[in-house]
Amino acid sequence: MTRLALERVSFWYPATDLPALEDVSLEVGGGEIVALVGRVGAGASSVLLVAADLAPRVTGGRLRGRVALTGGRRGLVLASPWTQLSGMAFTVWDEVAFGPANLGWPRDEITQHVERALTRLGIAALRARDPATVSGGELARVMLAGILAMDPAVLLCDEPTGALDPVGAREVWRLLRALADEGRAVLVATSDLDAAAAAADRVVWLERGRVAGAGPRALLADEATCAAGLGTSVASVWRAAGLALPYPATVAEALARWR
Amino acid sequence: MALTPALALDRVSFAYGPIAALTEVSFALAPGERAALLGRNGAGKSTVARLIAGLLRPAAGTVWVGDWDTGHHPPEALAHRVGSLFQHADQQLFGRTLADDVRFGPRALGLPPPEVERRAAAALAALDLDPLAGEHPYDLAPALRKLAALAGTLALEPSLLVLDEPTAGLDRELRARVVRALLARASVGVALLVITHDLTFAAEALERGLVLDAGRLSGDAPLAELLVAPSRLEPVGLLPPPIAALATALALPGRPVREADARRVLARVAHVRPSA
Repeated sequence: MTRLALERVSFWYPATDLPALEDVSLEVGGGEIVALVGRVGAGASSVLLVAADLAPRVTGGRLRGRVALTGGRRGLVLASPWTQLSGMAFTVWDEVAFGPANLGWPRDEITQHVERALTRLGIAALRARDPATVSGGELARVMLAGILAMDPAVLLCDEPTGALDPVGAREVWRLLRALADEGRAVLVATSDLDAAAAAADRVVWLERGRVAGAGPRALLADEATCAAGLGTSVASVWRAAGLALPYPATVAEALARWR
Repeated sequence: MALTPALALDRVSFAYGPIAALTEVSFALAPGERAALLGRNGAGKSTVARLIAGLLRPAAGTVWVGDWDTGHHPPEALAHRVGSLFQHADQQLFGRTLADDVRFGPRALGLPPPEVERRAAAALAALDLDPLAGEHPYDLAPALRKLAALAGTLALEPSLLVLDEPTAGLDRELRARVVRALLARASVGVALLVITHDLTFAAEALERGLVLDAGRLSGDAPLAELLVAPSRLEPVGLLPPPIAALATALALPGRPVREADARRVLARVAHVRPSA
């Protein structure tokens, strides 16, 4: 069974005294989507770097606590696709194949995974394009495809929909659901609280490097998260209008309440 | 006499090699007008921004910034009138402090030092970044760097702001700062053209929606109308933002799309609906 867990993790970037993460415990299991939410700078990206074994191994710095992984490979999609671009590929196809090729897979297996990833992201038509010439939102899909092509058991995504148009963002959330339904564990840092409230199974709320709250998606509509500016749009406007708790998190919930 | 538009595209076309990006796009913005440039990924939105900044030249047609034909002015001259924020703005900072970075633009315009200081301070203050003025940009979260890059753009005090996804990755509080700063600029006559997928933000800060679809202008309507019309949005990759969807689902009078308006209407209507 796939499972990734951070157990009482604290992390310091190099040459800093203040920890970026402090005593963080969380877990994500196969079959579920867990959303990491928080204000800018709360530590969501740091959690993903630690979970991906990039911090401190690549970033440097110091880690206390433990990261436990069972069930297979993990893959991280960075918030900024330009940072993740290999720079070694002249076509979108080669860019997506970069990861699988580095895993030393046989050629047909690479081809099969690349084709499937391109199709799932809806970018098969871009296969021959130079990744440097596709749009920002298209590049975000290329990067996600590149990670997906490596068939990760644990998928870590940092703002995967930040550059996408709303319909494209909805498709990516649906894809994440499908990937979870295949038994993968999905951990997503997102500032799209409305999407998280509709798509995530659980939510972990970070505040200054610590876990301030964790629970089902309804967490994004409770008094404390709304007061912290982390409630959904619907919950926030419900609260601002002076209507009673519990606040609806989504339009569908509001409508059910209204009838 | 009509005012000269702050920006006018007159049948502008552009292609990247064999790939057509824009086809005969025309629209104009009046001073103080607040427009969103909307559309799916790859529709040509960022290409419009690059053309206005003078980084690209139209293959056909003309881009006017005020009474300047951008074809006759290099980007550094256009910077006197156009302030641009590009998509990966969080990676374009290079000063040793935020304040240094924000000063770079006005200094490059050749302004005298006291004026450079005034503009930089005003721009940092407009986004509540003054407490971070002495920080090294790369010690800050990417979202704050993006905000700092926006401060650098505001510090040019241009008559036209062209911003590409200024709120991607920002939280609610930072997004509210951007809204406030942009409304303040528009209120003194600065025209805004904002490329955004964040329709919640667009509803708060902007008033007009220009829609690009596969390189052609396919829509031009008040946002308050557009955002409550799913049938006009979905074909171009857009969806009503939650407040607009709420207003439609609950049939709120006046179909408010801004949070403050929705709050008022909701409070009024709920008064006579004990079930809510």
